[in-house]
Amino acid sequence: MPPAVFLQNPIRASRRHSHQPTPFSTRQHPRGLFSLSLRERVGVRAARSTPRSSVHGPNTCPIFWKTIPSPLLALLLGALSLPALAEPPPFATGILPILTKAGCNTGGCHGAATGQGGFRLSLLGYDPDEDYLRITREHAGRRIDPDRPEESLFLRKPARQLDHEGGRRLPADSEEYRIVRDWIARGAPRGPADLRVEAIEVQPNDLLLPGKGQTAPLRVTARLSNGQVQDVTRLALYTSNDDAVADVSKQGVITSAGPGLTSIMIRYSGQVSAARIAIPYSGPRPTRFLGSDHFIDTHIGAELQRLHLEPSAPSSTATFLRRVSLDLIGRLPSPDEVRAFQQAGDSPERRRQWIDALLERPEWADYWTLQLADLLLLGGKGSNDTAIRRYHAWLRDQVASHTPLNQLVRSLIIAQGNIREVGPANFLTLANDPRDLSEHVGRMFLGTRVACARCHTHPSDRWTQEDYHRFAAYFARVGRSGDVIQVRQRGEVDHPKTGQPMEPKPLGASRPQSANSADNEPAADRRLELADWLTSGENPLFARSLVNRVWKHCFGRGLVEPVDDLRPTNPATHPALLDALARDFAAHRFDLHHLLRTITTSETYQLGSTATPSNRLDDRLFSHAYVRELPAPVFLDAVVQVTGVPHRFEGQPEDLHAVQLVGPQVPSVSLDVLGRCQREGPCDTPGQGGGGLARTLHLIQGATLQDKLSGGIVDRLIATQASDAAIVAELYLSALTRPAEPEETTEWTSLLGTAADRRAAVQDLLWALLNSREFGFNH
Amino acid sequence: MDTEPHPPPTRRCDGVSRRDFLHLGALAPLGLSLAGALRLRAQSAPNTARAQACILIWLDGGPSHLDTFDLKPDAPSEVRSPFKDIATSIPGLRICEHLPRTAPLMRHVALIRSVTHELGNHDTGTRFLLTGHRPTPALDYPSLGSVVARLRTSDSPMPPYIAIPNDAVGGDSNAARSGYLPGAYSAFSIGKDPSKVQDLHPPPGITFERNEHRRLMLAKMDRFSREVEEGPATRNRDAFYEQAYRLIGSAEAKNAFALGQESGAVRERYGSSRIGSGCLLARRLVEAGSRFVTVVDSGWDTHQQIARELPDSRFPGSGKLPSLDRAYSALIDDLRQRGLLDSTLVVLMGEFGRTPKLNALGGRDHWPRAGFACLAGGGVQGGRVIGATNPFGEFPVDRPVTPPDLAFTLLQLLGIDPSRELTTPDGRPMKLLSEGSFIHEVA
Repeated sequence: MPPAVFLQNPIRASRRHSHQPTPFSTRQHPRGLFSLSLRERVGVRAARSTPRSSVHGPNTCPIFWKTIPSPLLALLLGALSLPALAEPPPFATGILPILTKAGCNTGGCHGAATGQGGFRLSLLGYDPDEDYLRITREHAGRRIDPDRPEESLFLRKPARQLDHEGGRRLPADSEEYRIVRDWIARGAPRGPADLRVEAIEVQPNDLLLPGKGQTAPLRVTARLSNGQVQDVTRLALYTSNDDAVADVSKQGVITSAGPGLTSIMIRYSGQVSAARIAIPYSGPRPTRFLGSDHFIDTHIGAELQRLHLEPSAPSSTATFLRRVSLDLIGRLPSPDEVRAFQQAGDSPERRRQWIDALLERPEWADYWTLQLADLLLLGGKGSNDTAIRRYHAWLRDQVASHTPLNQLVRSLIIAQGNIREVGPANFLTLANDPRDLSEHVGRMFLGTRVACARCHTHPSDRWTQEDYHRFAAYFARVGRSGDVIQVRQRGEVDHPKTGQPMEPKPLGASRPQSANSADNEPAADRRLELADWLTSGENPLFARSLVNRVWKHCFGRGLVEPVDDLRPTNPATHPALLDALARDFAAHRFDLHHLLRTITTSETYQLGSTATPSNRLDDRLFSHAYVRELPAPVFLDAVVQVTGVPHRFEGQPEDLHAVQLVGPQVPSVSLDVLGRCQREGPCDTPGQGGGGLARTLHLIQGATLQDKLSGGIVDRLIATQASDAAIVAELYLSALTRPAEPEETTEWTSLLGTAADRRAAVQDLLWALLNSREFGFNH
Repeated sequence: MDTEPHPPPTRRCDGVSRRDFLHLGALAPLGLSLAGALRLRAQSAPNTARAQACILIWLDGGPSHLDTFDLKPDAPSEVRSPFKDIATSIPGLRICEHLPRTAPLMRHVALIRSVTHELGNHDTGTRFLLTGHRPTPALDYPSLGSVVARLRTSDSPMPPYIAIPNDAVGGDSNAARSGYLPGAYSAFSIGKDPSKVQDLHPPPGITFERNEHRRLMLAKMDRFSREVEEGPATRNRDAFYEQAYRLIGSAEAKNAFALGQESGAVRERYGSSRIGSGCLLARRLVEAGSRFVTVVDSGWDTHQQIARELPDSRFPGSGKLPSLDRAYSALIDDLRQRGLLDSTLVVLMGEFGRTPKLNALGGRDHWPRAGFACLAGGGVQGGRVIGATNPFGEFPVDRPVTPPDLAFTLLQLLGIDPSRELTTPDGRPMKLLSEGSFIHEVA
């Protein structure tokens, strides 16, 4: 037996850290036990229990925890360097930004939830009051010494005159050091208590750099609550969203790196902004324009010109028919439909009529019920089958009867009653905790990830903890008792720090003056006010987030990606287009038909997917159609459609399509391995779950295809003694929506003609078609 | 620096054009398979690392350090585990009483008790651990398994990176996926039941020859079609077909998935739980040439009733800890007896530890400041305890180990230089890791 090797000395080590507070002294170390203390302090005082209210909500938090690399601010501080006799700088707007810029309060340093080395600051300075107290009062004020400011721990550590794990952050000969020292010497004043930064502005905010290696400075100004405007260029934090396109220095100087479009995120004192940067591709300015006066084409075309991207040629008739059918109704066009369209001749007008006809088909309602059900995570965690079926039926009714989307969402937000009887009430079973519910609402209907602000100001968005908890307060009185969702008379969401119950308030807007006075519903239901605000035509996020999701459905990429992360620091590739689409959508009563018609009739949507030499590298400016894998249920339905052999789902009617299933609780090995949305969490990024090698093996050898090569179309073609050429033509048109090319016809007719087992040969040809690239992609 | 010129869009990710693929497919009857041709291309310097493969047992949800490998028997009852501690083969080292089979094997294990980071969500924490990078929205980093699949090429027809049952870890985050690397380096998810991996054999009535005939037809059909523009999605699709046919064509490789070939005694040793079958299958896969096998054991997000949930109080000897104990100890022992432990790195960990104070429901919530990891085999010196937490298990008081340190160590043990560069699809060189250093105490 080898000897024990303990490679540390716990006694010595713990002595070294003996100034660490104990885990239970919440006075000194309120976040020592992070989630516990929050649970204890947040105290959702709703009547129902919140069994698993950990601090972690259902949503992703795209936090930039990254430690800012060792900063050395070499330059002077412009507007902040005040004459010696002027007022000392206020802490919140004069001192704290220096700490933030120096990287003191990042998540990897003192901004961590438990601080670092016994000293904790709020993440990126979101809480100036608390930071001020910690710096000037904690440990009996031993961090600062106004009589001998240079001796202050608060300066000696970052100047590295004392051992400091974080390195030298404020060199003693720097201007920042001088400002902090003078501030301490003058008694480290707090300054006006309510002084804060109200907004920041960046110039230029939309910039074209003509090639690689070009530089351009940004200028950032901050407007304070006292009306003062400061140049804060040197104290703002800069992050490039894609440094393969453009990089940015700590001083805010942009350097172009390669062609494309990106943005620079700018943060200062809890406020955020972004600058859009475009670098043209190397080719000449395109000669082909998007010709129509459709507003989508105007916006897309202008960017293609600006970035020197030639649009691809328009899609062929067959490609258009296939693409628009798959996108609108989730089905392939039938051979008869294709032949009829071809005979009548292709034209923009005929394409419009085809689109209109698709929108009226019952399959349209099936398919868009599925889209909404995936968004709403319908049935993902549900255990009550009756309730889920009721919910699904209600949703399909709404879609089929063209309920405006804002009304549909309104019904979900304010639903109550027995979930077995009232379909939309199931929406409120997504989570028991009002905060979790509000995070779902934020992600689904506002395209925003508010979860970060549960514990601290969102580091890359504008939401504060107060915003978060006031938003969550709308659901504080929703309760569930058994199968019944009801509104209670009591229930609050408390601010985690102050413990005060929060008045509800919409995200990023002031509270309406006379909320829901005209409504007949009981005034106690706070949700009415939320529903009014959320779904009104004036809400900038609601329409934008829905439009962006539908755009992504049709193009394979959103104008904003990820689609649930709309924030000022993650701007759209085409911001004006997103706004125009959102306005148009709101102006047309949030009508999904109108939106889909608007998108699919554009020349942009109808471009071919074949790239040109000039636009080959483009993946976000919509110069050509991007090929997309068929979603799992659409693929399965297409296989059924082509083979003519139904796919049986356990306990379901024989002719039920995969897109019509209520949800993932209907077991299906085929759909699981093909990669359907399991609705346990967001399915905004396709291909999660199944897919990959397992999917491929299944397509090659699995039962899903193999079982459908007998019966159906194979039997019919054999029985009707169709000619070899007719068989090839029929299978190609049916699977690929296009006629076989001459070389294809030659190859496969000769194969069929020489086959010993003709039936097997037809099966094999069909198998190959269903496995082919062209079949598996929407192009 | 080792850059790989990124293939222009008309070339396949591995530098073989589509036409080459089809051409080679046509040559298959002459005995030159695509796999063989790829092998010829994949000539790289021989790798001298002892670890040839890695088995990662991933405790999804975040295992409680305080109730497994870092008990604090002297702490107040709010912190102290409901479980007792027991002696191990290392004098002075004590672990949870529900790990009795693991205890004598600790002399083969390097136990790190000071894993620490600050990402307390399942998805961000899992991404940090499994990629070695703090997650950012700007770039999806590849998982360690994908990196190993990409850089430790082999001439085995086995899929290099396999996930049991699948790679949806950390709340279905992208943590275990291929990130900016082509999708072809993502894991083969074998599906729910490790003892019945689906679709490895032709369906009933389809002979091997007919399957092969279909393959040639498909290659021809794809060559005719000009409708679908080449892109990342189509390249991934093509790579999966290529991998699938390599696997289908090798009886040996398919055999590796057949758990039924193991004796009843061996299966009994690993236990009949999912994690037991998973670990046994992982051993067979590594033996057959896979480079990185992740066995995912879910259910470690123990917000409630740790005392009742970890060992299942209704059925003594069952539950998460006893199943883990059985599977983990059997795997280490089995590898050792087969002489494979030295060339197989076995890693046991999850995304974070859990709150030192038991909550009102007798569970523990997320706590990234302190956690554990167990490393064994593949050149790791066993019998060591690295780092320690404070008396309440709150945070490391010595030798903090970060997720990048773990990733660095894992890659280096597998003979991959963590300072190496890979190229993103838009041609940008990226270091495998941007921080972290080798945990020198383990080797």
